[in-house]
Amino acid sequence: MTGHVAPNAPFAPMDAGQQLLQATGLTRRFGGLVAVNNVSFEVRRGEIFGLIGPNGAGKTTLFNLMTGLTPPSGGTLTYQGKNITGFPPHRVAALGIGRTFQNIRLFKVLSALENVKVAQHARTGAGLLQGLTGRDRAEERLVDERAWALLDLVGLANRAGEEAGNFSYGDQRRLEIARALATQPQVLLLDEPAAGMNTSEKGELTGFIRRVRDEFDLTVMIIEHHVPLVMNLCDRVAVLNFGELIAVGDPASVQRDPKVIEAYLGG
Amino acid sequence: MDFLQTYGFLIVTMLQQGLLGLSLYFPLMAGQLSLASPGFYAMGGYIAAIVLTNPSFAPWREALGGWIFPVTWLLSGLASAVLGVVVGVPALRLRGIYLALATIAFVQILQVLSLNLSVTGGAIGLFGIPQAFGFVDRWQYIWIFLPAVVVVLLFAHKLQGSRVGRAFRAIREDELAADAMGIPPTRYKVLAFVIGAVIAGVVGAMSAPFLNTWNARQGTFDASIAFLAYTLIGGSRSMWGPLLGGALLASLPELLRGLADWRLVINGLVLVVASLYLPQGIVGALSRLRRKTPPQRPTPQHQAALGETP
Amino acid sequence: MTELLQNLINGLAIGSVYAIFALGYTLVFSILGIINFAHGAVFTLGAYFTYTLVVGQFENNGLIKGINLFPAGSPFHGSAWAFAAAALIGAVLSGVVAVIIERLAFRPMRSRGADPLLALVSSLGVALVIVNLIQILVGAESYSFPGDIYGDLKPALIMHVGGKLIVVRSVQVIIFAVSMVLLLILGYITQRTRVGKALRAVAENPGTASLLGISVNRFIVITFFLSGFLGGLAGTLVSTAFSVAGPYFGVAFGLKGLAVIVLGGLGSIPGAVVGGLVIGLAEAFVPAEYSAYKDAVAFALLFVILLIRPQGLLGRVQIQKV
Repeated sequence: MTGHVAPNAPFAPMDAGQQLLQATGLTRRFGGLVAVNNVSFEVRRGEIFGLIGPNGAGKTTLFNLMTGLTPPSGGTLTYQGKNITGFPPHRVAALGIGRTFQNIRLFKVLSALENVKVAQHARTGAGLLQGLTGRDRAEERLVDERAWALLDLVGLANRAGEEAGNFSYGDQRRLEIARALATQPQVLLLDEPAAGMNTSEKGELTGFIRRVRDEFDLTVMIIEHHVPLVMNLCDRVAVLNFGELIAVGDPASVQRDPKVIEAYLGG
Repeated sequence: MDFLQTYGFLIVTMLQQGLLGLSLYFPLMAGQLSLASPGFYAMGGYIAAIVLTNPSFAPWREALGGWIFPVTWLLSGLASAVLGVVVGVPALRLRGIYLALATIAFVQILQVLSLNLSVTGGAIGLFGIPQAFGFVDRWQYIWIFLPAVVVVLLFAHKLQGSRVGRAFRAIREDELAADAMGIPPTRYKVLAFVIGAVIAGVVGAMSAPFLNTWNARQGTFDASIAFLAYTLIGGSRSMWGPLLGGALLASLPELLRGLADWRLVINGLVLVVASLYLPQGIVGALSRLRRKTPPQRPTPQHQAALGETP
Repeated sequence: MTELLQNLINGLAIGSVYAIFALGYTLVFSILGIINFAHGAVFTLGAYFTYTLVVGQFENNGLIKGINLFPAGSPFHGSAWAFAAAALIGAVLSGVVAVIIERLAFRPMRSRGADPLLALVSSLGVALVIVNLIQILVGAESYSFPGDIYGDLKPALIMHVGGKLIVVRSVQVIIFAVSMVLLLILGYITQRTRVGKALRAVAENPGTASLLGISVNRFIVITFFLSGFLGGLAGTLVSTAFSVAGPYFGVAFGLKGLAVIVLGGLGSIPGAVVGGLVIGLAEAFVPAEYSAYKDAVAFALLFVILLIRPQGLLGRVQIQKV
């Protein structure tokens, strides 16, 4: 199944397996605390790349470094060969990196539909003048249709008009993924998307992520606590501990790595 | 006609204050608490007053006749836009209370300037401003202010349903998340701020002939608080809120004629009580009662919106 | 050189009052994270309370027109110590008012978990109410303290330096001295005593402090009392140096106080002092031709510091948790 990338996304065609995203020596200090310490890795096109590690290991901080929410204290980040270190979040999003948040940052007072519409901002262009004179009608229609399609995808279309804050926790997570997809990313960063889900929901989520990766031609990076889910879903896994990358590779070998075992068990 | 004679001034004042409340509404749409409107209002009024009374502009007045008045509106709007960008771009990198403080500083600086420059008439201000279009009665200003209100409301309505309006709301809800979803926050915050500035400035230019005199008392911190009260009591999430709040609080002195001295005390009490019990304002509270119609799904098109082949 | 010294003296004097006043803001901000816009009104009240105690007579157009609250034999007439007592009582009363304000305008907000901007607006409302109530009760005109309130102290010290005159008014010395003493006391309380440590704990993290057995509400009350005390005292000091310029004189001061705390760093006690002195000195050094623009100096500084270093001179950068 091939999807084609939407018309105005600025992506160069690439082959599967090619390097898409590369972090080199990424570091982030907060005063005396080093949250992320000299982390280097690459993410390859089409893979599902997992990021695991004990609590406080710096996983979300790393995501924030990658998406521009926090500027790095050191190191570089390149995307499709282009240096994007220090780019602000909206530029990173426009370039094709989308994300969800660990503690869900939906626009709570806006409806589900609006959440998904507003995230299409970088893929549309109507300015103030067009909005006022009605010259944006065609674009608005497209935005509307895309939003409904995404809501269908996550099964929330019947509640499109409800305030996002009123949804259940699990539904909010799904809505947030739909919103991230609305930015038409090439790389999707998911921060603990399965938090709070029971086993069967986790299974559904795994299938959903694979399906989305296939249908939208995505590369996925996922932070997750639930190790079996990660091992089941991911092509490769990186392990972070106290801000440092201690192992990276396919799930099976990472699981057997003594440093990883010690990190999780050694307290 | 009698009604208009007696209440004309009040009605126009209600419309005018409603407009000033609306000038706060646009920055608020993007989540920015700007207390800067009085500064732009005062500046707009000074520009109009100067063009209408200063001898250097006499040739303009003669050449343009009645058209001088819309010209003053245009000039004030432009000046407000420029000043709005100049002040807004640096100030809007600040959040929340810091932005409010920066706008407070802005208003204070403008006030000191207006009290001391000779072109603005110093502490006395400018007086003898001619009536717009040769109006004879105050109520005739309804012809100016009512269309202005209609225009601003239409503008707000169109804006709300547009891409820019969505961007504003997203920034208001969660600026960082909006940023992460591809919306550049500073650009839109400045836009919202400038829209508010232009409205306040143009209202100032319209008000100078209405009030006949113009001085530094038009641009005070007290005015900031008053406008804030309008949006609080009316509601800040709908365009009707600030309009209603402005009209209501402007009419209060009339309604409570006997309590004239207590007007400001009441204003203050309104702020306290409203922020405690009515944080959504009157319009906000009412809208919770109204049933919302669910959004309509567009009719299916055969061009799959997401470009998938089923 | 003489001019420099004179400006320095003037700047330090007014700067130290700014500092005391600003500390009231800082205390509340550090413990609640909000700016109490009613502080300027409390400042005004302090001056009026003291005035009532010392002079007790209101001639002008308010409801208490012509009432003499403390006829000629009033205890606070005449000596400098009597005045000091009156000032102290005025400050205490201001502290009480501040506590009442907290109870009525801020506590209900906290218990609802309301948006802090709403608390700000509520405090604005309180300020409006207080200032206008003063106006209704006592009239909008300005009052002056009698010239002999400091008793036997000489009104000014006149020195000859380098052939020119320097005037140091007694009131300036008093203001500066009182400010420094207050600051030292406050510094000692917050850094060395248990009360101070508890205050700082609550400021840092109310939840944890509460878990550790600290009564958060009680310390908030203490903080507001201190803040009102400082504000009221500052009001008295300023009004003796100039005049009690009507119910609105606290508003301008209140706004300047904002400039002081932002410049110094929101929530930083030494910052309030530094900010106050910097602004006081900056105003004093404005050349005479531009003296009309003096008031704009504080706000220009406020704007500039917000642009280049929003955390202020001594504040810490706020890290936003994402």
